[in-house]
Amino acid sequence: MNNLLFFLTLISIGFVLGTIAEKLHYRSIHEREKKFLHLPAVTVKTVHYPDEKVKSAELVCGSAVISIDYFKRFLASLRNIFGGTVKSYESLIDRARREALLRMKEMAGDATVIVNVRIETSTIGKKANKKGVGCLEAIAYGTAMILEK
Amino acid sequence: MKYTPRQPESNVNVTPTSPLREFFLLTAGLLGVVIVIYILLGLAVNLVVPRISTDLENRIAGLFIRSIEAKDTASEREDYVQSLLEELQERCAQLPYLFKGHIRQASAVNAVALPGGHIVVYTGLLDKVASENELAFVLGHEMGHYAHRDHLRGMGRAFVFITISALLFGTDSNISKMLAQGLTITELSFSRKQETRADEFALETLNCDYGHVAGATDFFEKIPKEQDPGKFGHYFASHPESYKRISHLEDIIRSRGFKLAERTPLPENWRQSKN
Repeated sequence: MNNLLFFLTLISIGFVLGTIAEKLHYRSIHEREKKFLHLPAVTVKTVHYPDEKVKSAELVCGSAVISIDYFKRFLASLRNIFGGTVKSYESLIDRARREALLRMKEMAGDATVIVNVRIETSTIGKKANKKGVGCLEAIAYGTAMILEK
Repeated sequence: MKYTPRQPESNVNVTPTSPLREFFLLTAGLLGVVIVIYILLGLAVNLVVPRISTDLENRIAGLFIRSIEAKDTASEREDYVQSLLEELQERCAQLPYLFKGHIRQASAVNAVALPGGHIVVYTGLLDKVASENELAFVLGHEMGHYAHRDHLRGMGRAFVFITISALLFGTDSNISKMLAQGLTITELSFSRKQETRADEFALETLNCDYGHVAGATDFFEKIPKEQDPGKFGHYFASHPESYKRISHLEDIIRSRGFKLAERTPLPENWRQSKN
């Protein structure tokens, strides 16, 4: 009985706080994405531009770690039984990737464009790949270029 | 081509869904699956039990009997119960089991039939009985459960699990051992019909062994009116129930013309030997 109570408490904490944190995070993501609209991040490898007009080109990267909450994990483990899309993890990965991209853009400063952008994800924490609450890391990296008109 | 930066209107990577709704849907689904399995296992008990050979039963019993034997202490009363069991089996109740009596220190007035012919008798019961005939009836009652294989049915759904595990992984595997350990073997549940059949078996055995049935109903009459009947195991489900069982036994005694005679006393130091 006590175990069940403990479990239900964790689940409700996970749900309430997790939902609030997600909402706030998404709001900030939207605002910052608007702010960085002028800085495109693209996946092309080669830029056809006269060399003398390229002022600088350097590596920029941004990474973000988002934790799974208890509620999401429970929902996912229920999904493990029935199969199907694990919707509860979708928003976590989405948030991690977008946050990583935004941090990368912040690092790029006044660059004109970021090319050759790649995004990678991994799980970290002692319990990664096992049962338990783990964390998700997304890292975005690319080459920030400052081009003269 | 002119590039106009814009923010996407919707997020294609996140399914717009209510997590709470999904939570309740999935939990309800899981609960449904569990309920269906529970019902199926209940049905499986009656399917599985008649098909279990005594050999398999003995092997399954081997899974948890060691923990019971570990608590055994040699005592006069245990020897007495054992010899009574052997006598009853040899002369009257010829069942394909090697009966073994185990005495357990507990105030419960109860005896339990475990798989493989292991009968656990609590000291609370031994302290209550006044004659050998009475004890023989109780043991005969347990043997009756073996005769009808109620002891396997009584273990219920857990037994289905253990049987499946014993067949799939063998009785040496950790999974089988773990399952057997989790089993609460003292909480067997029997139906009224099963108890009545066991009573009838015990009465036959008693008559066969002693030539009379004195002491058969003694035990049922013993339940003190003020005492909690829950302590009395499956012998006394409730007061009216035990009266019904007494009158049922008396009906049989009358219709079959069983005789009544002197009861055989218990050994003199019965109550002193506290083990």
